Amino acid sequence: MTTLPIDNTLDDPTKRSPLVLGHDDFASVTNTICNVNERRRPPRAWYICFAISSTFLGILGILIGYLFWTGVGVWGNQNPAMWGFPIVNFVFWVGIGHAGTLISAILFLFRQKWRTAINRFAEAMTIFAVICAGMYPGIHVGRVWVTYWLFPIPNQMEMWPQFRSPLLWDVFAVGTYFTVSLLFWYVGMVPDLATLRDRATTKFKAIAYGIFALGWRGSMRHWHRYERAYLLLAALATPLVLSVHSVVSFDFAVAQLPGWHTTIFPPYFVAGAIFSGFAMVMTLAIPARQWWGLKDFITMRHLENMNKIILVTGSMVGYAYAMEFFTAWYSGSMYESFAFVNRAFGQYAWAYWIMVSCNVIVPQIFWFRKARQSILIMFIASLLVNVGMWFERFVIIVTSLTQDFLPSSWDYFTPTWVDLVMFAGSFGLFLTLFLLFIRFLPVIAIAEVKAVMPQANPHADHGGDH
Amino acid sequence: MAAASALPNENRYLGELGPKLYMRLGGLGILLIAGSYGLSKLMGDDSARFWRAYLVAYFFVLSICLGALFFTILQHLTRAGWSVVVRRISEGLVANLKWIWIGFIPIIVLVWTGNAHELYHWTVGADALPEGSPEQAMLEYKDAYLNPMFWTLRAAAYFVIWFVLARFFVGNSIAQDTTGDAKTTTRMQTIAAPAMLLYAFTQSYAAIDWIMTLEYAWFSTMFGVYFFAASCCGFGATLILMVSFLQKTGRVTQSITTEHHQEMGKFLFAFGIIFWAYIGYSQYMLIWYANIPEETTWFMIRQLGSWKWLSYLIIFGHFFVPFIVLLSKHPKRFKIMLVSACLWLFAIHYVDMYWLTMPSIPMEMFAEATSYEALSIDFPVSQYAAEYDLSFQFFDLTLWLGFACLMFGGAAFALRNQALIPEHDPRLYESLAYENI
Amino acid sequence: MNDSGTTMAKETMQAIGDKSKNSESSEVKMFGLLAEFETPGAILSAAKKVNEAGYKWWDCCVPFPVHGLDKAMGVRPTILPWIVLGAGITGAILGALLQWYTNAATLELWSGPITVTGYAFLVSGKPFASIPTWIPVMFELTILLAAISCVVFMFVLNKLPQFYHPCFNVKRFARVTDDRFFIVIEARDPNFYQEKTAEMLTSLGATAVEEVPA
Repeated sequence: MTTLPIDNTLDDPTKRSPLVLGHDDFASVTNTICNVNERRRPPRAWYICFAISSTFLGILGILIGYLFWTGVGVWGNQNPAMWGFPIVNFVFWVGIGHAGTLISAILFLFRQKWRTAINRFAEAMTIFAVICAGMYPGIHVGRVWVTYWLFPIPNQMEMWPQFRSPLLWDVFAVGTYFTVSLLFWYVGMVPDLATLRDRATTKFKAIAYGIFALGWRGSMRHWHRYERAYLLLAALATPLVLSVHSVVSFDFAVAQLPGWHTTIFPPYFVAGAIFSGFAMVMTLAIPARQWWGLKDFITMRHLENMNKIILVTGSMVGYAYAMEFFTAWYSGSMYESFAFVNRAFGQYAWAYWIMVSCNVIVPQIFWFRKARQSILIMFIASLLVNVGMWFERFVIIVTSLTQDFLPSSWDYFTPTWVDLVMFAGSFGLFLTLFLLFIRFLPVIAIAEVKAVMPQANPHADHGGDH
Repeated sequence: MAAASALPNENRYLGELGPKLYMRLGGLGILLIAGSYGLSKLMGDDSARFWRAYLVAYFFVLSICLGALFFTILQHLTRAGWSVVVRRISEGLVANLKWIWIGFIPIIVLVWTGNAHELYHWTVGADALPEGSPEQAMLEYKDAYLNPMFWTLRAAAYFVIWFVLARFFVGNSIAQDTTGDAKTTTRMQTIAAPAMLLYAFTQSYAAIDWIMTLEYAWFSTMFGVYFFAASCCGFGATLILMVSFLQKTGRVTQSITTEHHQEMGKFLFAFGIIFWAYIGYSQYMLIWYANIPEETTWFMIRQLGSWKWLSYLIIFGHFFVPFIVLLSKHPKRFKIMLVSACLWLFAIHYVDMYWLTMPSIPMEMFAEATSYEALSIDFPVSQYAAEYDLSFQFFDLTLWLGFACLMFGGAAFALRNQALIPEHDPRLYESLAYENI
Repeated sequence: MNDSGTTMAKETMQAIGDKSKNSESSEVKMFGLLAEFETPGAILSAAKKVNEAGYKWWDCCVPFPVHGLDKAMGVRPTILPWIVLGAGITGAILGALLQWYTNAATLELWSGPITVTGYAFLVSGKPFASIPTWIPVMFELTILLAAISCVVFMFVLNKLPQFYHPCFNVKRFARVTDDRFFIVIEARDPNFYQEKTAEMLTSLGATAVEEVPA
């Protein structure tokens, strides 16, 4: 085993940098990753985080009960801002959920091998974020007992959902996204579950992992179809990622409301979603690699690559802001111009400038290699990006709704304590699920990491002359 | 990486073919463009129609060369391995961006001599419009942006930036052939990131300034992105056609393999077909759905008279048919199929540029119409029919061919003494050994 | 491959040889032979030879897909992509029909306790058949059906879940999900002769050859 520390962030165009450090056999890879699940006790930090997050999850549950009992009036949604926190949070969480499938699918199609270290993480994050997102419209409908009206099921009014509404497209888009992400996550995990099954020390574990491993035995005939299926899923999931946030953006962009009706919304929302998703992966991966000793897999190079993606997508978001502003002025429509000037200098200017500084200015620090490789800087930046992206949705939704065509109905939106605590509670839900995932499921795609190691190349031991 | 240790034994230079290509293509191109001008004069002096056709052909070439610039920068930005063997050929197209400003001079002259009123309506100036009319108010409002001086300065800025970027990426890549210095690659990678930003803004604003302002009242935030997506299609098809042509003449037959063809096909499929359709659909659907008059007119023009058939041709010819044809990997690996699809897309990209640039119906016509039905039923017999309906002219074709000849000739000129693959790129061997998973 | 591995393999070989001499009937109870390899390169070259030797009922079990191994084994391309394509097309058609029926038609399908009828109604002046608005749902259903069928048929074609497999009875097989590469040749293969096959596997560089009880 090599003891010399290798700096794999150096860019030497004559050779590719190693993606796994300090392991030169497959068994040590298996041991290190499985240790995350197999160690008797997780690190103390896990208990602390779990205690906090499950508390917030409990509070969320109580508040949902309170909401059902009392009605949506407990929120700050009030005329004219009928879409307040629930929709802001919905879009925020769906956005977070995009990096998972991006890393899994798009980077897979682009053959970015560094994805193997972080894709499992990101996929899990996707699923939990989509659960948080899906919760909001579900509880926002007011009469929760008729939530089934969202689906094309015959009901007593003989009427069907209104398919010309983007809100219904959302149901299909988010539903499909959740299903496909779950399948993608699970299919990717089957071989690793088999690894945990084969290493299980207790009968219970062997059976529990065994059931989900489906009797996987690594048959190459199986792998052949498996790889094909994985590629197909990636090819299906890639346009799906684009479509989901595009459909979310349609919710706003089809309207005539100034500040919402902007044709660049679809690609701009997608870029923003990937941006915030990567920031969230960062926020979760940095402590995880520290606490569970995964630095050999999630190396500095991986972090640096993610920082670069944050820079790229942050700049795309900046491009969209610039284009929106330019077009609002250029359009010559007084309502459009007003909406944008009002965003920047009106009553929500504070939110707007938080958004711009967090989303456009903060990522620019990643132009510098030092910043891209500083754990502290990237951790803070990832948190700020998440803040900024939340405010982006807040700015879009609230500024346009509170001050539209009719000045007499202008108002100022203020969230209630229920809004705020529920938002915190959604983080509790997200983190609880995530911590359980880290404890019980393989956090890194073991089989895939092995496949990108140089030893995995079958021609390596023949002198590379094939 | 399992890689070959030496370059394959093959012809990697244009050699005698180079001068033949650029002399003939260059000559033919100039002849065709000049001939088209003569032809338009012969057919009656409708110079606005000619210059519109000129713009279409110009945008066709410009979009392909900009697509090539994007592709080249992207390969450096992502440290791509597979694409090294085809990068030089794309750099040949990029080199055209050094001289592409020459083709735009006539348009600038038209704007400054006050002959572009039919082309860019805003050049008439607010003062020439009826006093107190909404058109006048609009133009007065936009005067800060749409005035010949600022417009020309912006154009100059785009051309300077493209010149610098083309020179940098093509120059360094060619220099590496002799020096073999791996640091050149590192330098290009470093510059690629800011270059991409510059590229994004210049190509978007060029599209806005030169195509979107053809209707000065109309606006779409997405327009720059649409032009970008279209340029990826044009470029993707052109690249495959150029590679196939060179291989047909017995050049780079070993180094560029079926694997690279499949990969180029994937680029074309992903960016030029799916991404294009996604952007095109989003732009159309959002405007159609919100149904705001000042936005819908742009699409309405393209749904009236025979323009409607052109729109259908683009929907099916630019998306559905190529989507089905290129979906599987087999056609991407089957040369005749791939080349035929690319020839088709090469043509349909021209149709797309035509569709963006050519339709022009005065706004008064919409003001007079009382309903959409009236407009569409009356259209073929209305006074505007003869003047504004789709009428394909012979010089449309000759101008297009002329500009295409100049584009290919320019690429041949840029590559006349160079190897057709970057022979000392540090990732060349990775690219040579590339295999699809 | 190290020395101890080779000796171990020889010992196993002898053990197998003894058994096959002893009784014919024990052969019935045997699933096949399991050969262990230590590197992807070793199993790749071995698999090529086994394929060339004309075996049909055999398999390689590996911890991750070894590049080129499926080709070396002569695995034929799967029909999975066609199934997925079919499911995708079905999804698109289903999406169009669903939206047309629910929002643009007045066709009554069933008037039982629950009436199932098309309900064309106007919203915001959009046509009943608003094709631009159908695209998103058609697209999502295309992806949904294609993805589900992709996963389901991948498992079905692989005959998974299969919780019992004779190989699981061999202790060393547990490392198949860790760092060992195995070739399994089943006894029902017409070319299978216990001694000859075991000999061949050892000569191909197997570090151990073991009998798999049925």
